[in-house]
Order: sequence, then structure tokens, then C-alpha cells
Amino acid sequence: MTRVVMSQIRKTFGESIALEDFSIIFEPGDLVCLLGPSGCGKTTALRILAGFENADSGSVTVNGEDITRVPVSKRHFGMVFQDYSLFPNMTSRENIDFGLKAQKRSSAQRTEIIDRMLFITALEDQADKFPHQMSGGQKQRVALARAIATEPNLLLLDEPLSALDAKVRESLRDEIRRLQKEIGVTTVFVTHDQDEALAIADQVGVMSRGRLEQIASPRDLYEHPVNPFVASFIGSINRFVAIAGDQGMWGVLNRWVMSDRPSVLGDTAVLGIRPEELAVDVAGDGNARITDISFLGPVTRVSVEFADHATSQNPEVIADLMSAECARLSVGDKVQVRVRDDVTSAIMMSKPESEAFTESESIVHVN
Amino acid sequence: MTATTAAPLPLQSPLESPASPPRNSSHKPVNLTRVFRWIYLTLLGIFFAVPMLAMARFAFQSVPVALLTPDKLFTGWSIEPLMNALTDTQALNAARISVTLAILSILINLVLLIPLAIVTEIKAPKLRPVLTAVTLLPWVVPPIALVVGVSATFRASAPWFLASIYSLVPFYALWALPFTYRALDAGLQAINAKTLYEAARSMGASFTTTVFKVLLPNMRASIVAAATLTAALVLGEFAFASLLLKETLPTYLVNFQRSDARGGLALAIFILILTALVIGISVRLMRKRGLNISSTGL
Repeated sequence: MTRVVMSQIRKTFGESIALEDFSIIFEPGDLVCLLGPSGCGKTTALRILAGFENADSGSVTVNGEDITRVPVSKRHFGMVFQDYSLFPNMTSRENIDFGLKAQKRSSAQRTEIIDRMLFITALEDQADKFPHQMSGGQKQRVALARAIATEPNLLLLDEPLSALDAKVRESLRDEIRRLQKEIGVTTVFVTHDQDEALAIADQVGVMSRGRLEQIASPRDLYEHPVNPFVASFIGSINRFVAIAGDQGMWGVLNRWVMSDRPSVLGDTAVLGIRPEELAVDVAGDGNARITDISFLGPVTRVSVEFADHATSQNPEVIADLMSAECARLSVGDKVQVRVRDDVTSAIMMSKPESEAFTESESIVHVN
Repeated sequence: MTATTAAPLPLQSPLESPASPPRNSSHKPVNLTRVFRWIYLTLLGIFFAVPMLAMARFAFQSVPVALLTPDKLFTGWSIEPLMNALTDTQALNAARISVTLAILSILINLVLLIPLAIVTEIKAPKLRPVLTAVTLLPWVVPPIALVVGVSATFRASAPWFLASIYSLVPFYALWALPFTYRALDAGLQAINAKTLYEAARSMGASFTTTVFKVLLPNMRASIVAAATLTAALVLGEFAFASLLLKETLPTYLVNFQRSDARGGLALAIFILILTALVIGISVRLMRKRGLNISSTGL
């Protein structure tokens, strides 16, 4: 099993900085997703890892050995690309064989490995088909089989599912996870789809503007984002103006909650509350009005507009409620929106006002 | 085609909505489009077919137009003019020279441009528009300027070069640059060459293996297209050959027609049909092997 470390990578393309002080550790056997909006540098990071791009500075090590200047073909990594990368002139079997031939393995060994790969990816009936005779999902499965056939140190997946339709995407996603666990290969999976990342990763690295904002397990990332960017990028979040009470508590709507920052009595700040942390009750004298209701299956997403715009930082606040509880709600209703009783902490989305004043250079506007 | 096939739908739908009862006239708009399409195609067909038929009649029927009456429509046909033209040793010689020139031009172009196109696509995609523009240059310079310039230079330094029939090869190779480059470039784009290259390299293949086992086999369609275009160009090129006083198939044809008008036209028709057959067969062969013709620039 392989431990891969990228440290202090910097990469520029002309004037624009693709990666800046980018450091990350891929622990043996982990599936790490690099997640971020387009242009955040996640693909560049993967391409530097693969050896397709050279970093301006910084290093890449595999089990302690520096490979920063080792060419692609000597790195012994497997890669699956976003656009279908199967060789059109070869059958599935020949495609898988390609890397094995490059490794100069005996023909008996090659046949055995190919058969095993076709078996574990359930592609036996596609063995002698050419890429143009297969569906998108099948092609990506062959690409996956081809990438793991050479027993790579590291498996690199560059948005492998984004060209596929929703159903296939989900099943192949789970298949990738199953295979990855089975063979225990350290894997880096680049994606812009947070559902995909949260569903299969051991660790998710959230990137923005060439930097790694946070790397953590999906649950940690969702519950304890280190900054407002991560908080709003992973899932949805509503911003509310909160007022500090005593003992470090903040008052948001109806509740006192904890935050990661100490408060000074009377201070104000913006706190983030997840849609599923809100409750909505019909009330004639309520603080908000329903503007939209969308049914999403088990959950119904209710959009509300606050009468007092000072309370909410967003023009619209969204609440995710169990669909069963929503039958009595309709658009236009006056409602009372509150934070659910089981919510004990919230994410700080801005600096408290007192800090903003002391650091005059970076004033964060809070009403 | 897409415009005409798409047109009937919006015209048809309001009339076929459940509210209005079916009427006979409901198909009228469709028929109009279809009728227009057929008229258009027929006129186009006549435009191309009439001169050919006239040419064929003149070449193969020994009845002057002035004496051509309906009862004589099927008399006097013979392929003798063609046979005469084909058995002329000079014609065969000219054909042999043209074919040799075509093959040499194709080889030079492919040897020069395949590596160039591959390296550009993989290592410096930013240079693609530059190359496209550069390869177009020979078409910006008229043949007369090209020939005069080159012959002035060579007459002084290496007169033997202009004396050889092969002095046409560099001109033809240059002349065919834009077609060859475009066909190869389109082929590389269509197969997603960069990704294939990276996939192969990531599996440990060397640069040479990647080029010969992955890229070239998948470029077959565009290589065939490039070769076909170059051949068509060389086999029909008149200006350079005439200016340099070389006897290739086109210059021979023009001369031959002066002495034997019917034989010349018979030969022209024969070459036309032969070319159409060759292109048709090569496209068929490519389709059969699953190669994408539309992406080759052909």
C-alpha cells in the first residue's frame, strides 16, 4: 500500500496561479476526493500527481521516495479520464492488455490478469467488443479495469463519471468504491459533484482558488467546516445575524447555540444554519412567509422570506422538512421559522463585529 | 438537409392537435417542402448531368448534332475513341508520371506532417491555429508567382532540378499542405489524441509505442483522407505542370484534345468515373472498418 505526499506545490500558467502552497497527504488505501468549483486547481493537482504537468516548486513523494521529476511512464500509476480514453482500435481485452504488455509480463500471466479484471468488473461478455460497440458506462468500466490491471501504486480518477447519465453514474460510483476497497489501492478521485464525493470518499479535500481549504471525512466536513467557503460549498446553508449572549453562546432566531469562536456580550456575527436544522410552523403572526415549496421525495424544500430582512442575510431562507410534515403548508402562508431544538452549535460565517472593527483592513459587513 | 427535414414539424403540429379534426389539407405544408426539395435536387442533378451526358454523346456517338434526329438516337455509338486514347503510349506515359508524382507528394506530405500534427496536438495545442494559417500560405501565393520565383532561383543555381519531372513534387507537396494538415488535424481531434496519448503513457508505454500502437492506427481514416485529397489534387493539377513544361496527365489531356477532340473527352469521362469509383470504394472500406469519415475533412 502506498502513501503519497504532495508538499508545498506551486503551479502557474502564465499569469494565473493554478496551485499555491498546496500540500496534501494520501494515506495508504484511502479514497480521497478532491472537490471544488471548476478552476480551483483540482485537475492541475491530479495532473501534477500523474506527471503530465511539472510543478514550479514543491515535491511529490511516494512512500518517502521523491518522484517530482520522474516521467509519467515510470510512475506506475493507473488513471481513468473524464472523456473516454479507450483505444478505439483495440477490443476491451486488448485495451486491458496494453499496460500489461508495457510491463513486459509473460503471456500466461497477462491472460490470467485480463480474465480476472473482466470478471471483477462483470465485463466478460464485452471482452471482444470494440469501444464503439459499448455504452458509456461499459467503456468507463473497461477504462477502470485497464487502470487497475497493472497493479498501480496509486489510482487517479479524473471526473470519470461526469460524462455518464445519472443512473449509470450512481451504480458505477458504488462499483468504483467496492473495487477500490477490494484491492486496497490508494485512490485520488477528482470531482466537482459533492454528492459523489460525500458518498464514496474516506477523505474529501475541498479546494478553492488553488488552495486546499480543508481535508476531512465527509461527516466532519459537513458538520465542522473550517471556514465559510467550505460551509457553503458542502451542502446548502442559511445565513442569520446572531447576537452574542453570555458564556460564549450566540442567539439565532429562537435558540442559543455554541460556535467555534468566543463571543463578547452584545457582539453580532453571521452564523450558518443548515436547511435541515430549521423548523417551520404555520402561524398567523409568524416571522416569515412561504415563497416556494418543492417536493424532493422524502424531503420537501420550503423557501421562505423573512418579514424583517435584518434577521436573515439571504433574501430567501430554505428549510428542508420531512415531506410528511409538510402537507399542511402552502405557498403564501405566514409561518414561524425557528431553529430546531436539537441544534446546539452553528458555523461562524463571518468574523464577529468586534473583531472586524479591530482588524480594520478586512471589515466583514454585518448589517 | 437538417433545415428541410426539421421544417415540417412546427408546420404540422398545430393542424394535428386533438382540437382540430383531421383534414386532407393537413399534409399540404409537408408536401410543399418535399416538392421543393425534389425540384431543387432535380435541377441540381440536371445542372451536373446534362454537360456530362452531352460530353459522353459527343465522345461516343459518331453522329453530328445537326444530323441527330429521334430515329438516329441509338445509332453510331462506339467506345472506339476511348480505346484509341487508351492505347496511345503517350497517354499511358503521362498517366504513369502523374501517378508517380501523386505517390511521391503523398509520401512527402505524410512524412512531414504526421509527426508535426501529432507533436502539435499533444505538446503545443496553442500552435494549431498558427499551423493552419501557415499551411494555407501556398494557396495565397498564385502558382505563376510560385513557379516564376522558384524557377528563377533554380535556373541560376541548379538547372538540372527544373529539367527533371520530379521538380513538380515539392510544388505539389506544398500545394497539398492545407488539405493534408486539416485532414490529419481533424483526425487527431476526433480520436481525442491527447487523452489517448496520456492514457497510454500512464500505463508505462514509451513515446514510440504510443505513436505506433495507439495514435497511428486510429488515424487511418484521416491518413487515407489526406492521401485521397492529395492524389485528387495532383492528378488534376494543370498550372504548375504547364508552366514548367512538363507532360502530366492533365497537360497531355489538353494537348491530346486539340488533335483528337472526341478521344480527349472520352478519356476525361473515363478518368472522372475512375476517380469517383476510387473515392467511393475507399469511403466504403473506411465505413466497413468503423472509421469515422465525417471527422476526416473528406
